[in-house]
Amino acid sequence: MGTAVTHAPVTEVRAKDAEPRHGPDTPPRPADLKRRGRRENLAGYLFMSPWIAGFLLLTAGPMAASLYFAFTDYNLFDAPRWIGLDNFSEMFGDPRWRHSVRVTLWYVVVGTPVKLLVALGVALLLAQKRRGQAFYRAAFYAPSLIGASVSVAIVWKAIFSDDAIVDRTQKVFGIGAGGWTGDPDLIIYSLVALTVWQFGAPMVIFLAGLKQVPRELYEAADVDGAGKLRQFWNITLPMISPVLFFNVLLETIHSFQIFSSAYIVGGGAGGNACGPADGSMVYTCYLYVQGFENSRMGLASAMAWMLLVAVALVTAVLFRSQKRWVHYEEGGR
Amino acid sequence: MQQGRGVERRTVLKAAGASLAVTGLGATATACGGGSGSGDGTVTIRYAWWGAEDRARRINKTIDLFEKKYPKIRVKTDFQPYTDFWKKFNTQASGGNPPDVFQNAIGFLRKYDAKNVLLDLKEQVKAGNLRMEGFRAGLDTFGEIDGKLLGVPVGSNSMALVIDKPVYARAGVTPETGWTWDDFDEAMARVRDRTGRAGDSGMYGVMYLYDLYLRQNGKAFFTEDGLGFTEADLTRWWTKAEKGVRSGLFADPKKVAQIKPKSALSAELAGSEFTWDNFTVRYTSEGRSEYGLAPIPTTDGKRTGQYLGSLMLSASRRTQHPVEVAKFIDFMVHDPEVAKIMGYDRGVPATTAQYEAYRPTDAVNKAIAAYEESLVQAGVLEPITPHPNGADICEAAFLRIGEELGLGKRSVPDAVEQFFNESKTALSS
Repeated sequence: MGTAVTHAPVTEVRAKDAEPRHGPDTPPRPADLKRRGRRENLAGYLFMSPWIAGFLLLTAGPMAASLYFAFTDYNLFDAPRWIGLDNFSEMFGDPRWRHSVRVTLWYVVVGTPVKLLVALGVALLLAQKRRGQAFYRAAFYAPSLIGASVSVAIVWKAIFSDDAIVDRTQKVFGIGAGGWTGDPDLIIYSLVALTVWQFGAPMVIFLAGLKQVPRELYEAADVDGAGKLRQFWNITLPMISPVLFFNVLLETIHSFQIFSSAYIVGGGAGGNACGPADGSMVYTCYLYVQGFENSRMGLASAMAWMLLVAVALVTAVLFRSQKRWVHYEEGGR
Repeated sequence: MQQGRGVERRTVLKAAGASLAVTGLGATATACGGGSGSGDGTVTIRYAWWGAEDRARRINKTIDLFEKKYPKIRVKTDFQPYTDFWKKFNTQASGGNPPDVFQNAIGFLRKYDAKNVLLDLKEQVKAGNLRMEGFRAGLDTFGEIDGKLLGVPVGSNSMALVIDKPVYARAGVTPETGWTWDDFDEAMARVRDRTGRAGDSGMYGVMYLYDLYLRQNGKAFFTEDGLGFTEADLTRWWTKAEKGVRSGLFADPKKVAQIKPKSALSAELAGSEFTWDNFTVRYTSEGRSEYGLAPIPTTDGKRTGQYLGSLMLSASRRTQHPVEVAKFIDFMVHDPEVAKIMGYDRGVPATTAQYEAYRPTDAVNKAIAAYEESLVQAGVLEPITPHPNGADICEAAFLRIGEELGLGKRSVPDAVEQFFNESKTALSS
């Protein structure tokens, strides 16, 4: 069927275009070019239309709406009522909100560096030529692929529960604590452990960075008698600093957005939304509670924008700090 | 080359047109999914409830019966656990797409009436599609607010002390009607000392129990538009609770948090738990022990403050099929066969016809029947006022902050202050 249908217009078009409007020796007139350009643009836009429609309807539109809701009292049912900055002042005065900020910062500040250290450490080990290297790389990368899934979070919860494997192991050493997921002070560490376990993604990026470091530098350092540690500090680290920067940036932003693992490990269906005594109540968890449990969409929108601003600020600070510690090779930038 | 490109462009334009057409079709299809009529006059209504698998199995059987009797009405079902149910419902209802008929409870009537979500079923009663006769114990007016019929009870339940029978036997405790809170405290200590298990699962966060305690003292948790107790009242209640947790009378909140959604009672962390009497059905399937019902402790040796609670069926104001929905509710509350399938899963059936139709033969359901009967005979049941808008959020906050207190993350004054702050916000919005 395809051939029969497509062939007809082919000949038709050929016949039309074959007319000597602009032969090989007469250059095409600007108007023609313009028209052609416009038509090609149109085709281009049509190609992009699914994405553009998706962007406008699913991203830009909702974002604009949420920006508006952030300044309203909106419970999903009644029309939003403009209240100016009240949502923000309520937010700052709410001890539960401040608690969620503390929990999130704790998670970011502890989780991100540990994860990157592990990723870098393993990358250094795997960068050396060994037997079965490809297998190890794949194996260490695997958790990154599945780590964000709900099922892994459920397994994680089971591992860190009362009388589960972690607790029993602790008991062997006489430090059983009755499970991490029921303890408001410990549950956040089980989340940190979950994110560290997914060190595969930054590790792969580190590996790529390590491959780029020119061998000659190490050879020269060897000749000069620099030790391994010295080489790492003075060659490897500066050379991979752009990659390190990239990883720090990505992981920090990523950490701020933690939601599903905290929600599942902290409670899940039928449980608390945010862990015992809000122990794992990261920022987005509280946002979810305000929006969907308490039906306060205005306040939740304000919280979302607050998070966006905070992440943007942190990103800006990281970019500014680049000058001090990120070394770009000449020709790079 | 140039010619070739022209061709491609054509084909591309066609393809784009086709894909737009498909998208358009998709949109139409979605729109159809929202509607519920079809050519032959068959009407589809959507029915949603909260509960566990077991309830779903029973309800699906009753729906088969209904569809047999009313072949022109199809019923589409949906269910979640309690808290998730309301999240989904909120989203659907605010999007103008709530289920046509759904399970409801006293704490939500005012809230959703204020949001124009609930259908006043009075019209359908007048039209003869829904019979409000034959209800037990004044349940026919249970779902009436400000002259509007917003919910029809499917069953009645009441708060009870659900006990692990062998544990209580080993401790030598036999709760009797009219026992006092002092007797109860003594019983908790005996359970702890003689069986090595905490007496109770953590009663201090249960809004419905504190409500009973307040009623025994002439107050109530909620008034028509706010809280019916003071900071001083709650300070007393939670001070006692804190001592109870410290001394092991109440189960370790850390462990209780981790076995959710299982209950502390069926997980053998505590010897008893204050909850609704129909929960014994669930605990019996969940736990290994034998579970029984004990009376609520009193302050003056007589008044328990108890009232009948009830799960209801409500209709959405936006439903396109109010007549069919009314017939559905009518069938579910009056049909005797439905009662035989449901048992006491949603409490003791609300209508006499259903009550008579199902005579329990097993110990658990028999105990529930006997318990409800004893309440009627003792004459302790009181009327209940519908909760104010925002009550559900207060209930959740009470539970959560009570847990934080138990976990030692808050002092009593801090917890009381936090609860009053959050309630004020919830009740004023």
